[in-house]
Amino acid sequence: MAFQEHAAEVAEGAAEKFNAGATIIEHVSNSSHDHPLVHLPTIAGIDFSVTKHVLMLWLVAGAVLLLVSLAVRKFLKQDRLVPSGFMNALEAVVEYVRDSIVLPNVGTKWVNTWTPYILTLFLFILGANAVGLLPIFDVLGLLNHWVLHPSDESFLSRVVHGGSTATANFNVTAALASLTFGAIIVAGTKAHGFVKHWVNLVPKGLAAPIYIILIPIEIMGMFVRPFALTMRLAANMTGGHIAILSLLSFVFLFAEMFGRAAAGIGIGIMAVPMASLLSGLEVIVVLVQAYVFSLLTAVFIGMAIHVHH
Amino acid sequence: MTVGEVFHKVCYTHMPDDERGPFLARSLQHLQENIRRSGPAAAAGYTLIGAIILLGGIGYAVDAWRGTSPWFLLLGLLVGLIVGFYELAKTVWHR
Repeated sequence: MAFQEHAAEVAEGAAEKFNAGATIIEHVSNSSHDHPLVHLPTIAGIDFSVTKHVLMLWLVAGAVLLLVSLAVRKFLKQDRLVPSGFMNALEAVVEYVRDSIVLPNVGTKWVNTWTPYILTLFLFILGANAVGLLPIFDVLGLLNHWVLHPSDESFLSRVVHGGSTATANFNVTAALASLTFGAIIVAGTKAHGFVKHWVNLVPKGLAAPIYIILIPIEIMGMFVRPFALTMRLAANMTGGHIAILSLLSFVFLFAEMFGRAAAGIGIGIMAVPMASLLSGLEVIVVLVQAYVFSLLTAVFIGMAIHVHH
Repeated sequence: MTVGEVFHKVCYTHMPDDERGPFLARSLQHLQENIRRSGPAAAAGYTLIGAIILLGGIGYAVDAWRGTSPWFLLLGLLVGLIVGFYELAKTVWHR
């Protein structure tokens, strides 16, 4: 009896420690700005210190650049025209983006102008999304806890805090959407000339008073499109991770609620397979979100090029 | 019939009146075709939601700043609805 009471007391003590909301947020949000991974000076009011998401951005951008350029260079050097291995897969992706995403939307005349941009977006977003699913930092955290025991101020201790999906950060997706915002204007300007692009925004041949209403609406619409892109990608990437983490936190919540580990293990038999299934779903989400971002970018660029009024 | 045989039958049985390719390859083709066609519709849908959230959010922020709740929020939502539906109407009527 005394042992059980003691166990309940221990569990109650733990209950104060485990905060599901805070734990989940810590695992999906950026690492703290007060303890950045690399301290850099503040220039023009902007703190350039490197946080977790910035580090992930660099890692992903570097990895994509290296993998793709090395594969392409190797392919260009070889004598055979038939690609093999990674290059074969890459070629399939390039062809798919060009023929299924860009070509139907921007048309044959501009397909080679816009495929490189949309392909870059696709590969980068795919890479950033996919790296977020790999439990690199969770393994590092385990190593940290059980094997290495570094001090709290070491780089290794700081790098395990915060989420690792850079595309789950609204600032990252906002930057990507700003690029698309610029690309839409450049596409319209290249196809129709600078002045004509802006004239094309509103339909022709309407009564003058209607333009007083239409022009502000069109200008707002111009900003709404990249905003929709921003919210969609970041929200989808954050949402999936939160769903998996909430399922897993059931284990700890139940263990605390009933004051014994068996309750946690019991709910874990249900929760862990469900979380695994959701992780499988996340693999699809990773692909679909990269696809949808590229598709919408292609659609918006196509709308600027082929004006139907 | 074993699982392998069923899989083989599903993947490689030709449809009687169509010789364009195996069943799965053709459904994949149709799926791609459908996704490609739905692009503009998806864009319009996301723009509708985006306009309401963005302009409603701006209205909410102005309310919080000037203490005029709820008028700018309502105005923002209304303008968001107008912009969103305008974009939707453009997509629907021009394609």
